[in-house]
Amino acid sequence: MWCGPLELVHRPAWPGPGQLGQKVSSQTTALLRNPWRKEKPASARPVLEIYSASGVPLASLLWKSGPVVSLGWSAEEELLCVQEDGVVLVYGLHGDFRRHFSMGNVGGPGGWGKGMESGTLSLPQPTTPLSRRCSRTGFWMPGSSILSLVLGWLSSQEPTASPSVPTWVTSNSAGCQRCQVSPDTPGAAFTAHRCAFCPWDHQRQKLWALGSLRWSFSTTIGLQSAPSCWTTVCQDRVAHILLAVGPDLYLLDHAACSAVTPPGLAPGVSSFLQMAVSFTYRHLALFTDTGYIWMGTASLKEKLCEFNCNIRAPPKQMVWCSRPRSKERAVVVAWERRLMVVGDAPESIQFVLDEDSYLVPELDGVRIFSRSTHEFLHEVPVASEEIFKIASMAPGALLLEAQKEYEKESQKADEYLREIQELGQLPQAVQQCIEAAGHEHWPDMQKSLLRAASFGKCFLDRFPPDSFVRMCQDLRVLNAVRDYHIGIPLTYSQYKQLTIQVLLDRLVLRRLYPLAIQICEYLRLPEVQGVSRILAHWACYKVQQKDVSDEDVARAINQKLGDTPGVSYSDIAARAYGCGRTELAIKLLEYEPRSGEQVPLLLKMKRSKLALSKAIESGDTDLVFTVLLHLKNELNRGDFFMTLRNQPMALSLYRQFCKHQELETLKDLYNQDDNHQELGSFHIRASYAAEERIEGRVAALQTAADAFYKAKNEFAAKATEDQMRLLRLQRRLEDELGGRFLDLSLHDTVTTLILSGQNKRAEQLARDFRIPDKRLWWLKLTALADLEDWEELEKFSKSKKSPIGYLPFVEICMKQHNKYEAKKYASRVGPEQKVKALLLVGDVAQAADVAIEHRNEAEMSLVLSHCTGATDGATADKIQRARAQAQKK
Amino acid sequence: MAFPHRPDAPELPDFSMLKRLARDQLIYLLEQLPGKKDLFIEADLMSPLDRIANVSILKQHEVDKLYKVENKPALSSSEQLCFLVRPRIKNMRYIASLVNADKMAGRTRKYKVIFSPQKFYACEMVLEEEGVYGDVSCDEWAFSLLPLDVDLLSMELPEFFRDYFLEGDQRWINTLAQALHLLSTLYGPFPNCYGIGRCAKMSYELWKRLEEEEDGETKGRRPEIGQIFLLDRDVDFVTALCSQVVYEGLVDDTFRIKCGSVDFGPEVTSSDKSLKVLLNAEDKVFNEIRNEHFSNVFSFLSQKARNLQAQYDRRRGMDIKQMKNFVSQELKGLKQEHRLLSLHIGACESIMKKKTKQDFQELIKTEHALLEGFNIRESTSYIEEHIDRQVSPIESLRLMCLLSITENGLIPKDYRSLKTQYLQSYGPEHLLTFSNLRRAGLLTEQAPGDTLTAVESKVSKLVTDKAAGKITDAFSSLAKRSNFRAISKKLNLIPRVDGEYDLKVPRDMAYVFSGAYVPLSCRIIEQVLERRGWQGLDEVVRLLNCSELAFTDMTKDDKASSESLRLILVVFLGGCTFSEISALRFLGREKGYRFIFLTTAVTNSARLMEAMSEVKA
Repeated sequence: MWCGPLELVHRPAWPGPGQLGQKVSSQTTALLRNPWRKEKPASARPVLEIYSASGVPLASLLWKSGPVVSLGWSAEEELLCVQEDGVVLVYGLHGDFRRHFSMGNVGGPGGWGKGMESGTLSLPQPTTPLSRRCSRTGFWMPGSSILSLVLGWLSSQEPTASPSVPTWVTSNSAGCQRCQVSPDTPGAAFTAHRCAFCPWDHQRQKLWALGSLRWSFSTTIGLQSAPSCWTTVCQDRVAHILLAVGPDLYLLDHAACSAVTPPGLAPGVSSFLQMAVSFTYRHLALFTDTGYIWMGTASLKEKLCEFNCNIRAPPKQMVWCSRPRSKERAVVVAWERRLMVVGDAPESIQFVLDEDSYLVPELDGVRIFSRSTHEFLHEVPVASEEIFKIASMAPGALLLEAQKEYEKESQKADEYLREIQELGQLPQAVQQCIEAAGHEHWPDMQKSLLRAASFGKCFLDRFPPDSFVRMCQDLRVLNAVRDYHIGIPLTYSQYKQLTIQVLLDRLVLRRLYPLAIQICEYLRLPEVQGVSRILAHWACYKVQQKDVSDEDVARAINQKLGDTPGVSYSDIAARAYGCGRTELAIKLLEYEPRSGEQVPLLLKMKRSKLALSKAIESGDTDLVFTVLLHLKNELNRGDFFMTLRNQPMALSLYRQFCKHQELETLKDLYNQDDNHQELGSFHIRASYAAEERIEGRVAALQTAADAFYKAKNEFAAKATEDQMRLLRLQRRLEDELGGRFLDLSLHDTVTTLILSGQNKRAEQLARDFRIPDKRLWWLKLTALADLEDWEELEKFSKSKKSPIGYLPFVEICMKQHNKYEAKKYASRVGPEQKVKALLLVGDVAQAADVAIEHRNEAEMSLVLSHCTGATDGATADKIQRARAQAQKK
Repeated sequence: MAFPHRPDAPELPDFSMLKRLARDQLIYLLEQLPGKKDLFIEADLMSPLDRIANVSILKQHEVDKLYKVENKPALSSSEQLCFLVRPRIKNMRYIASLVNADKMAGRTRKYKVIFSPQKFYACEMVLEEEGVYGDVSCDEWAFSLLPLDVDLLSMELPEFFRDYFLEGDQRWINTLAQALHLLSTLYGPFPNCYGIGRCAKMSYELWKRLEEEEDGETKGRRPEIGQIFLLDRDVDFVTALCSQVVYEGLVDDTFRIKCGSVDFGPEVTSSDKSLKVLLNAEDKVFNEIRNEHFSNVFSFLSQKARNLQAQYDRRRGMDIKQMKNFVSQELKGLKQEHRLLSLHIGACESIMKKKTKQDFQELIKTEHALLEGFNIRESTSYIEEHIDRQVSPIESLRLMCLLSITENGLIPKDYRSLKTQYLQSYGPEHLLTFSNLRRAGLLTEQAPGDTLTAVESKVSKLVTDKAAGKITDAFSSLAKRSNFRAISKKLNLIPRVDGEYDLKVPRDMAYVFSGAYVPLSCRIIEQVLERRGWQGLDEVVRLLNCSELAFTDMTKDDKASSESLRLILVVFLGGCTFSEISALRFLGREKGYRFIFLTTAVTNSARLMEAMSEVKA
């Protein structure tokens, strides 16, 4: 069953006749939102006009670029204008220029599409069930990745060719490996622009297919004349070009060209006038010069049906019209004033067209545009047919009837209801009513169907409510966007296919922010996906309002956005900066809670110092470093250092870097700061790390000492000077005595001298450097014991009274396992340490005596702990006795 | 004495997940470079890597040969080189020189640099400056938390201490915040947070910001770990500078525990080989003695040895069936225990030998005197002698620092003379070491006279305490003073002991220092947990110079179970010592808490001093 064209436009507002020239090409996105734009082919500059689907003018601009070959809409609702020189200009919905890219000059004869007569530009439709959403702004890439861009071009060299003969073939390759994102169009959002173009080289009779940027192929086919019509088809995710030349059909891909024959094609065909591929790329229709229409699968393996309309005139347009999952298939063929629907039936349905019309195939029907109307032709959905068919006894129809009777308070309601319930079909009835409501365009009808469903539901125990609720919500949203002020006449199936997110994106594109937010709130979408995203878009639009002052814009934005989660103020600021409003951008950045996010934009705006403090605030050292390097290049050295000086965190970060990578800069930094202490340290380090020669080292030390004096660190300065003296001395010692002295500490230098028997020199050195007595004694003691020069040691011990006592002598002798020598010194140990000394030499008995004599509890315990085995038994007893005695007292 | 936890103590979360995550990520990164490749590993990363993925796992993912990153030309002949390094500039220079050498030789290979735990922009800069940025590919191995034990997570970043506390370099704070974020995503949110110190505050703020940005992930999850405490190392240097006397600490001081394992030399193993031993809770013998004061360890081990013998002896008089049972079931366990026992006895002997040789008792006595603040002159001359005798540069330095911090800086005369002595003993480059120590506040000179204190006390008599506090703050910002003595009095860090402190039955956390001193860091944690915040500790916080830097953050909604509230994550920024870990484990046992430790690295006094020391290359 087919429904006649349904008028969707309440108030047709297209301009008067005569303006709809041949260059009008129309595109409906799945949103059905159908802007209409035209150019006057007049001698004056053409005007590009854009209208909403309900005929509300959106934009109008004077065309100043070169001759346009074709126009088309992308799935992102951007207008692509292809010029004959291969440049494609991209405009927004409101006529704002976005960008341009070039398809390259292929070098076919006659340039790009000169003398263009007609053509179509069809862009990807977000329709196939496989489609997947691939970008936030709602660009759809069909699962088959087939995007086709068809440009019609008539060679100026063959003015006699039929107007519908295109010699420019463009198709997008679906082969994923070849589908690389072109460098000038980053991101998946621009996939639609990846096209291949096949110029027809008339002189060499060669068909060139050239990838826009990354791949190219050229296929030579032995054609004697230009093709009469062509289309792109898709098989196994690969795009092919189907080309008709005379009675022959050729299938081209990037590598080969093969002749094909549709099965069951009626004989007598001498030329194909028109071909059409269905919206899903599954079916193909061919119109021959005999008025015969062949319909089959796009793979050309199977024929579905055929029809002979007996009209030999070439049709203006031929498109498929079908509904997803429906068995009915039909093709709509349009001539100047006639519209014919043909399918698998002996009869066709014909309509008369009052005006010039243009067909746009869609997911579930065909849109028909004319100057004054916008109509939709589609197959009546099953549910609606069941309910509204004359004398239908379907459960849904009965339920609708029952509800109507109920409202009239008639007992017939009960009869109908019983009838359905007896058959147990009430759930189906409700379901049918809900479904049919979805396909209705008039709110009154929707309401009555929903009322019927609701009525039926009352008699069901367990009917899940969500399908009913969801339908009510969906219809409310749909009715809102279908309003002619909004002008997005979507059908229910299209809406479902599109998803609410894409619908919201399209509303945002039309700057219908309040409606979008209301929808979000109504559907209770999560804030991040819904309201805040729309607010962010709004803010990005708001910053472009140049007539409002920076303060007002910033305040307005902050008032609306507040701390809404998921809104990035830095993105908005970036947009403001993009519009040249630096001050506004800075104001907006102040609202950005994450200081790290502010930095890149601040740098871009050359507010490096502000960026530095923000980077420091963020705590991200990498960010700080990035800014630092930026500053280093931007400022002269002095200013750079001054900036660092006020930012200790950045300064220490930069110092760390310099320590490893730029030592000289480090020195300059200290110099700049008059940091003499660090400067001194720097030179000290240099004295042993960087300098090899002794002169260089001394010089470095001298510089260090000077710096230390400046830093008022006299201790360090003196120590450095001592070191200079020592270094020179060590050098002399090496020269005179041989051996290694350089880099020894003072202590080790003296020790080395003693060890090599240079006692005199050692003492001289000790005097020169004022080595304290205690140290000298320790030093000599250790050195002599190491030499095992016991004689000298004894002499030394007697040289004067030891400033360190004599216990160390005992210890050191025992360390060398010389008990004999140790005992000599043990006797000289002072009384406090006597016990310890005696124990060290192993004289437990005497130690015990001393300890008892001292009456020292701790010493006695110490001796006791050294009493081991039988030998010391007596001693132990002695101590115990003494202890007991002591306690008695 | 084993360490029984109270029956109501909460279970520890399973941290092995962190290892699995790190391993999977590493494997993924290795697979990014398909085919055979040679792996160059930075020395510092070798031990941590070993705990994550052993050689056979690396081989499975086509790592051919392993090299150490050192300053030598690479001998590798592989076509693909992979570098696993810390983000350090010197490593970048090494890699760049290698790539450039290849370029000169006309050789093209694939190079991949994997930074762990993260990549720094400065590193990429250096690669760029050296002209090899385009030749290498860079990746990050976000391996920041290594579970060394069931309750100990280490970031294995010893340089954190020097970088932050000496150089003021904040780059690791981000890494730390990321690590905390990882923990909170894996183990639920932390409802209660406390912290003290500048670094702690910054890390905390950065971490919270990360949480906010990835809102919602942890929301609604029940917290597993109820409380977290962040503590800067510079809040308490004293504890870290003391000689350790609990077994685990002593083993660390003596043999150096590296990444949870220790190399026991021949003198311990009583064979001619050294042996690498993993020290953690799985070692049953070790687990029982690790937190013990050293004086108890020997008697415990000998008791254990006797028990073991008794168990062995049971096999006498067994019939065949019993014997079979014994061999198949118990013998292996016994043998294992036997092996461990003999190792630890060997270690103990070795420690005893070393410690008596150096007059350990004297040293400890001096330390205690410093902590308690008496006989300062004697201690000073002890230190001087220590330096004169060239006992150990690190030890001498440590004692000097301890003296300085406990005494609010050295008196100018001592400051000069000790430094002079030290330079004479160990070389002039230590002039830089002293400059470092001064900057870090570890070794300072007393402000001329104690005029500040005098003014302060006068002022405090005149105005209220709060105002006085503010004035003191102003002064202390001029000369940051440690105020150890005052803090010690406020927090009662030196327990008053009547009679002998029984180390076998510890009464308080002071047992980790032979009953002489309660670790300051642990006391602060104890107090804050008890008070659930910093109320009443204002004076202490002021004395610590942390007036603006102590924070509390409690979540309002009480989803945290009482059990989770008793599970506490303690984060030490700049490292913690085993003594502190033992002390907190003790506290946990007393109060029914379980502590989890997260540290930038396990440290001890020697490591701290080495980090500050300037050494000739």
